[in-house]
Amino acid sequence: MNRQVERWMIGVAWLSGIVLLGTVFSIIGYLFYKGAATLTPSLIFGETQPMDALLLRRQVFDGLFPAMVGTFSLVVLSVGWAIPVGLATGIYLAEYSGKTMKRTLNLFFDILAGIPSIVVGLFGFSLAVFLHKHFSERIYPCLLISSLSLAFLVLPYIIRTTQVSLDSLPPVTRLTALALGATRLQNIFYVLIPKSLSGILSGVILAIGRCAEDTAVIMLTGVVATAGVPKSLLSNYEALPFYIYYTSSQYANPQELMTGYGASIILLTICAVLFLLAFAAKRGLTYHALYRA
Amino acid sequence: MTKIGETIWERLFLLCAIASVVVTVLIFGFMVVLGLPLFKGGHFFYLLTQPWLPSRHAYGIYPMIVGTMFIASLAVAIAFPLSLGCASLISVIAPRPFSRFLRRVVHLMTGVPTVIYGFVGVFLLVPLMRDLFQRGSGMCILSAALMLAVLISPTMILFFADSFEHVPRPYLDAVDALGGRPVQKFIYVMIPCAWRGILTGCILGIGRALGDTLVALMIAGNAIQVPSSPLDSARVLTAHIALVIAADYDSLEFKSIFACGVVLYIFTTIVVLAVRSLGASGRRQEP
Amino acid sequence: MDRAIKIQVDHLNFSYRGNRVLRDVSARFEENTITAIVGPSGIGKSTFLMTLNRLWETMPHATMKGEVRINLDGRFSNIYDHSYPLAELRRTVGMVFQVPNPLPMSIFKNVAFPLKLAGFCDKPAVAEKVEEALRRAYLWEEVRDRLTDHAMQLSGGQQQRLCIARALILEPQILLLDEPTSSLDATAAAVIEELLVNLKKRCTILVVSHYLAQVQRIADRVLELADGILVPSLLNL
Repeated sequence: MNRQVERWMIGVAWLSGIVLLGTVFSIIGYLFYKGAATLTPSLIFGETQPMDALLLRRQVFDGLFPAMVGTFSLVVLSVGWAIPVGLATGIYLAEYSGKTMKRTLNLFFDILAGIPSIVVGLFGFSLAVFLHKHFSERIYPCLLISSLSLAFLVLPYIIRTTQVSLDSLPPVTRLTALALGATRLQNIFYVLIPKSLSGILSGVILAIGRCAEDTAVIMLTGVVATAGVPKSLLSNYEALPFYIYYTSSQYANPQELMTGYGASIILLTICAVLFLLAFAAKRGLTYHALYRA
Repeated sequence: MTKIGETIWERLFLLCAIASVVVTVLIFGFMVVLGLPLFKGGHFFYLLTQPWLPSRHAYGIYPMIVGTMFIASLAVAIAFPLSLGCASLISVIAPRPFSRFLRRVVHLMTGVPTVIYGFVGVFLLVPLMRDLFQRGSGMCILSAALMLAVLISPTMILFFADSFEHVPRPYLDAVDALGGRPVQKFIYVMIPCAWRGILTGCILGIGRALGDTLVALMIAGNAIQVPSSPLDSARVLTAHIALVIAADYDSLEFKSIFACGVVLYIFTTIVVLAVRSLGASGRRQEP
Repeated sequence: MDRAIKIQVDHLNFSYRGNRVLRDVSARFEENTITAIVGPSGIGKSTFLMTLNRLWETMPHATMKGEVRINLDGRFSNIYDHSYPLAELRRTVGMVFQVPNPLPMSIFKNVAFPLKLAGFCDKPAVAEKVEEALRRAYLWEEVRDRLTDHAMQLSGGQQQRLCIARALILEPQILLLDEPTSSLDATAAAVIEELLVNLKKRCTILVVSHYLAQVQRIADRVLELADGILVPSLLNL
């Protein structure tokens, strides 16, 4: 009787593996199969010359370039907001907070990490409305609001990876500089952070990936289907993930649908590259740090 | 650096930490405050159990709550055996090279954006479902649950595999020395030891399924009705927010999305608390 | 006394991460005897034991060359032959570890576990075998009224005897013990020494030990592992 259960378990295990691999490869295969043909410069730049587009001399009307610029700006801004605050919070958690404080703070950040992205987007939207009513009439959902909201979204990632990297340093490392007369702050900046750099960096790269792929937050905070390259912080903008979503329901003809596939491939590639970078950072810097020390 | 300089930096760090906490609380606060007109007069619970009838000025989000629970539980029900099976392959059952390969693929899967799952779902899965069941447009709870299951599986698989790795070595040695085969080691020792991790993984999966927007938005159909079968179209709380955001800001209809926000916030907080308490009781059990 | 050879080891070479642990080891172990293996810490005594039940194969970065043959039913079989099932080998060659490792289940279930692995389900027969194994491990009287208690509630010495009972239930022909009493106090150790001496009429026993007094008390023969080679010890028996 036991034998039956054991055999059945092996069957289920292998079946699951095959189903999972089959699904993944079908998804990726399908995208490439349908979209590989569209992977030409005109997918990104439309009718405009690449150099003109890159130097912002001319507008691109039917290419993915504005969306890619939008996504890029979004990522840079969000991570720009999130890194200082996240890093500082992580440092505080790892180095300064007492036990109860640490547990309480971690509870809040776990909750923050668990909030669905659409709710964060809703918050961003509400923030925009609030600022519009009480501060300046010019504030609408825009690049600024979106990047702030995305920053809230990825803040827990950066906090957590910073805290974990610092916490997992061996006790000896902590004591070395202190024994030589360094202050707490000097210890943090000169020894602890450089040693945890690989972990922190991988957290940052993951946050970048999260910002690049998110759709729900930006849907509520200022992304639109056509806006060209973002003109200012307070303007609307396009983004790659939103383009994909929009195309799936609003495509006017088969060609447009094809660009959706092309965009999916580009987005997938960007995320894969970021993912591998995070992995390499985690490994590579550790190696480097060990061998330099 | 002077003592004052040190203190300033410490205060700065603390300030950032507090700011992060404030954001967390503020998010909930905004939801509540902005949804206030709907909450007034004890209407909140009313709101949760009423159907959506615009003609009668009733903006109950009950259909969306049911939709969310239906899709999320179905997704986890599908993902659980899949994830456990794959985790068992990675931990013990498969030969080393394959297990390493599978783990890498699963790791990579965690980086795939959800909009891609939604996109492929619309053009690959939905027509398939349409042909298979000969009913409706193919955009239904089942399609969304299937795609969602693929979305949440990698996280669950990695979590399970991690729990299995933490089973104490002496137990595994004992089974090996007694001539136990890998699958026996898995069923009789690893699963009983790692049940907490397995449960936590499931709860995390539920949390992710509850919080996802794009998959359900693109594949579940978005009809506002209380679904009665997996082949029905349904709308989830997250998709509702995305769809109604374009409505008139001052209308009651619009305010209903804040109610959705509150409900979602509470759900995911419960998930977080459940995971924490499981982790804490696990730590208490350790010698 | 002219006894049959039970285990035959020829030209055994074992390397771990490029370091040679066992060099060209050859030895013969007679049936129904207790052979003690002594030597400095970390030299490879446990490793040697593991080559006899192929447990080292779970360690990555380990390689082995050489032959190990066991006399089963009058014939010598090469245990490294692919046709010899691993599970079968580990039921014929039982192992007890230095630190007792009862599984997280009741006393009864622990001892019955190997039977479950072997697919043996007959409930009354299982209960009989469990009692028999516990008697042979000198543990029956102490646990007969609390077989459903969790194994972790037993003392260190009792846990080790539990592990011995568990190893004995499938009636192995060879029993390998890796410093079985090093985590126990003198009284507990004495009980185990006595049970081992009584056990040798049923199986061939190899014990790795640090305690020379213990070795003198129970061993029929002593081998010393030094510089990767196994030699007859200079201990006076």
